[in-house]
Amino acid sequence: MSTAALHAEHEGHHHHKESFISKYVFSMDHKMISKQFLITGIIMGIIGMGMSLLFRLQLAWPDEQFGILEMLLGKWAVDGKLDPNFYMGLVTIHGTIMVFYVLTAGLSGTFSNLLIPLQVGARDMASPFLNMLSYWFFFLSSVVLLVSVGVETGPASAGWTVYPPLSALEKAMPGSGLGMTLWLVAIVLFIVSALLGGINYISTVLNMRTKGMSMNRMPLTIWAFFFTAVLGLLSFPVLLGAGLFLIFDRSFGTSFYLSDIYLEGVGALENIGGSPVLYQHLFWFLGHPEVYIILMPALGITSEVISTNARKPIFGYTAMVISLMGISFLSFIVWGHHMFITGMNPFLGSVFMILTLIIAVPSAVKVFNYLTTLWKGNLRFTPAMLFSIGLVSFFISGGVTGIWLGNAAIDIQLHDSYFVVAHFHLVMGSSAIFGMFAGIYHWFPRMYGRMLNNVLGYFHFWITFICAYLVFFPMHFMGLAGVPRRYYMFTLVKDFDVWMDVNKLITIAAIIGGAAQLLFLYNFFYSIFRGKKSEQNPWQSNSLEWSAPVKHIHGNWPGEIPTVYRGPYEYSRPDREEDFFPQYIPDEGQETGTGAPSKTPAPEHKEVAEENAGHSVFFAAIRRVFGLS
Amino acid sequence: MKMLLHFAVKAKSAWGKTLMALAMLAMPILAQAQAAPDVVKPPAGFDPSSWDWVFICYLVLSVLVILVIARAFDIGSLTEKLTGKKVIKWNLTNAWVALIAMVAGGIGVWYEMVYHGKYVLLGNAFSLHGATLDSMIWWTLGFTFVVFVITECLLFWFMFRYRYREGKKAHYYYHNNTLEMIWTIVPAVVLTFLVLRGFNTWSKITNDIPADSEEIEVYAYQFGWKARYAGEDKKFGQHSFTFTSGKNPLGLAVDEYVDSLSAELKNEISQFDTLIKYAPDSAKVWKAALADLEGKQNITAYPVVYKELKEKACDAASGAYVRKLEKERDRKKTTLQRIAEYRSNKDVFNNSANDDRITTEIVLVKNKPYVFKFRARDVIHSAYMPEFRAQMNCVPGMATQFAFTPTHTTEEARQIKGNKEFEYYLYCNKICGAAHYNMKIKITVVDSEARKKVWLESQAKVVPAKTAAPATDDKGEKNTKDSAAKSPTVALN
Repeated sequence: MSTAALHAEHEGHHHHKESFISKYVFSMDHKMISKQFLITGIIMGIIGMGMSLLFRLQLAWPDEQFGILEMLLGKWAVDGKLDPNFYMGLVTIHGTIMVFYVLTAGLSGTFSNLLIPLQVGARDMASPFLNMLSYWFFFLSSVVLLVSVGVETGPASAGWTVYPPLSALEKAMPGSGLGMTLWLVAIVLFIVSALLGGINYISTVLNMRTKGMSMNRMPLTIWAFFFTAVLGLLSFPVLLGAGLFLIFDRSFGTSFYLSDIYLEGVGALENIGGSPVLYQHLFWFLGHPEVYIILMPALGITSEVISTNARKPIFGYTAMVISLMGISFLSFIVWGHHMFITGMNPFLGSVFMILTLIIAVPSAVKVFNYLTTLWKGNLRFTPAMLFSIGLVSFFISGGVTGIWLGNAAIDIQLHDSYFVVAHFHLVMGSSAIFGMFAGIYHWFPRMYGRMLNNVLGYFHFWITFICAYLVFFPMHFMGLAGVPRRYYMFTLVKDFDVWMDVNKLITIAAIIGGAAQLLFLYNFFYSIFRGKKSEQNPWQSNSLEWSAPVKHIHGNWPGEIPTVYRGPYEYSRPDREEDFFPQYIPDEGQETGTGAPSKTPAPEHKEVAEENAGHSVFFAAIRRVFGLS
Repeated sequence: MKMLLHFAVKAKSAWGKTLMALAMLAMPILAQAQAAPDVVKPPAGFDPSSWDWVFICYLVLSVLVILVIARAFDIGSLTEKLTGKKVIKWNLTNAWVALIAMVAGGIGVWYEMVYHGKYVLLGNAFSLHGATLDSMIWWTLGFTFVVFVITECLLFWFMFRYRYREGKKAHYYYHNNTLEMIWTIVPAVVLTFLVLRGFNTWSKITNDIPADSEEIEVYAYQFGWKARYAGEDKKFGQHSFTFTSGKNPLGLAVDEYVDSLSAELKNEISQFDTLIKYAPDSAKVWKAALADLEGKQNITAYPVVYKELKEKACDAASGAYVRKLEKERDRKKTTLQRIAEYRSNKDVFNNSANDDRITTEIVLVKNKPYVFKFRARDVIHSAYMPEFRAQMNCVPGMATQFAFTPTHTTEEARQIKGNKEFEYYLYCNKICGAAHYNMKIKITVVDSEARKKVWLESQAKVVPAKTAAPATDDKGEKNTKDSAAKSPTVALN
């Protein structure tokens, strides 16, 4: 069925009764799919966080026996002590869950699905059916991954990057057996899901914008989701290739990644001619864009939330879009900075170092623009706003250490140390999860028609924020002292004894931070059923999604889709009484409803645009090329 | 269980009924779980007074506290609704908390720098290039710390300063090209500086290798390290992973070891052939044994035996058993064939490996340049020597290296660090398996070549003197001494 026909049908009968299955399970409505992504993401997040608490417990008290662990994990924690193999498994699955299932699908899947049609003014996604498939592939993938944790030989345990030969050889470690096979199956399913979603997001953004919604009037969220989808579409197939080669090596005796291997207890293997470094190249060709696939939706959400709650236009809209574009492009050519010390040609290392440090420039522009947006604003601290500001804080403190690690020389010392753990947990982990929380707090009324409790949100934010810093900030010092990551315990090296108190501090902070998430869970699930009923536009926001009825309907808007008359960030315009000016309200004297979309931007905008055209050839050229104005 | 049911029956809401239904469904499963002896085993030493219960109590208590707080605020908001007065001005409160967080964060950063900063290695590089690397870190730290402090302070200050005020309108300010240009160009310039410096440092570290550097082979395997020093001929013997055996852990081209490996492989192959030949008989035996066991009443008494036997019988019946054996045999045959191809090559088997020394620690001489040649046997490892600012991955099938010059002896490092027990270590820094966390080798730096020589000569040669190949016969006297002195380490400091 073509989308046009589908829409016609939607408009025809809005109120027809749906069965439970077609409404809640195999739903093709983007709003329901976004809720499905969100709740699956939250469940995966709880599991991933639980795993991190388990291995943090081991790191802080390596000699203590926790009876409760044996009750929970059985043979993996005999006498209440975590098994080293299972420790590796936990680390691996924690990374996989957090990177792919929570911060890729849970974040991008939820908010791209919810916001793209609502903010560009479309009845649904370009292909609701593919959209549904995208969720169910993701669901299947989650199930396979969780099942892999329970297999007899343990889950995949070669780190979330699963470098061969460790991950390719069943005899190299127990986790490389069935657990690894299931991991690969889960990732293949996940990639299918990501691709189906990505195609949909891109085509919806490009083809299905409502009247007047030119590209330069799209909220920054949509820009972020759009670039994210492009990145995913270009890079996930490479991981699929890498994964297939790994499957071939594991099961069909090929030698893509294997060469010259002698395994204790097995003998010399037949494989020759492969290269383990090839896998790393392929993996990080996805792996690095993946960082931005995670981060950019969070940044988009932050832009929207900060502008709305600062009651101020986002500063430098064009610069924000260009920096997103720059980050997207550069992210494809910097993957080698994960591999400075893998024995890659040192010259290649220098090239990747230069490219990597260039990527700091658009990131810096974004941070400064956020700061300027806050400057002289009228900041309303909703929980969403707090989480967005928290994101900016993490983005700064994790981002500056990127300048350290992107430098090949410094990376010699810091590679695979706790410094790296601190860096990416701040800049990618905490930032993105804060972006996700910001999104949930901000759009919860849009999703469920009810409000979350703000006060619980404040407690949730401040506890989580402080604990996240307590967990990750001291890790920088451990890294600078040469403490390697992924160690099961540090008590066997005398020099690392001084860090035992830090390990305890980190674990205690992690447990408190983890407990604080109970506040959120309580708030979330309680408010779905019992929360305060939401108003039409609870945050006095400009963007289009708040014009749709609070109670969800198929096709989003009854009657005609609203027309867009201006950009999404017209807050506190001096010529207006109110401090916001929704995109869908026409200017005075302008015809409402039908009629051609207004091509005239707000007067101030026009002046500035002309002024810029005079002295910024670069911006003007970019604008022309991408049709921004 | 019963309590739960009781509760569910009492509950009148739909939720209660759902819960009850769930409990009823779970009953048989739970009952079975309790019946099976292996499923829920109480942990060893599980007594109520143990720490675990305290832990659980803490957990439950903290959850309760959180819920109580949550309810308290619910009541608070109810009061607000009833009285129409704001009990707490949340926007103002958040602004103040932000300010406090900024100050507290600043104190925290300062405390960390003072308290934990003294443990970081910065400024204590014990290698020649380490000092330049440290200076690179200092420059980067300088720039990034300034940016970090300024931007974070601005962020929290803005939170406090521009908090919501009734009737105030935000400054309508959406664009300023000059400003944006400034903060595009300034970071770009700073980064250019850092890139150029980093480029220089990196090139110097990776490319400037003194010609007179001594080569040491560092060999990684699950889970340990071995070092190999060249013998009197100053040449490393050839190696191949196919030569690796228990006696020859590094896979060196030594006639004697490789020949005995060949013989061993031939023997194994013939054993496999025998097994394959008698596979039908084995299948019958297993089948009979399985039938016998299944005929007995108490099969469940031997779960492991039963499972193994069943697997064997199944494999034998489906032919998987034979295929597995054949595959193993063919692999051994390939290895044997590869060995045979090398064996006749005089460039490989040139006896230069015989006088190499394989050691379980590394001894270096201060201020002498070294090149570590890395080799890995099974999976990727990473040789990490933080004190020397050196790290390089060890990749199976690929040669890697790292060159550096130690500048302080172990003794000097101990004095500088004020730690009498300090030792240099080379750690594994790439996830490699269960014992990854305990894979290290000691490095000792001594002050004179003589001391190192004494130590090195106390280490056994690859081929002990009495069976040494004729090529080293002219040094026979010395070889005798080597094999006699087999003490692992002599006092070095």
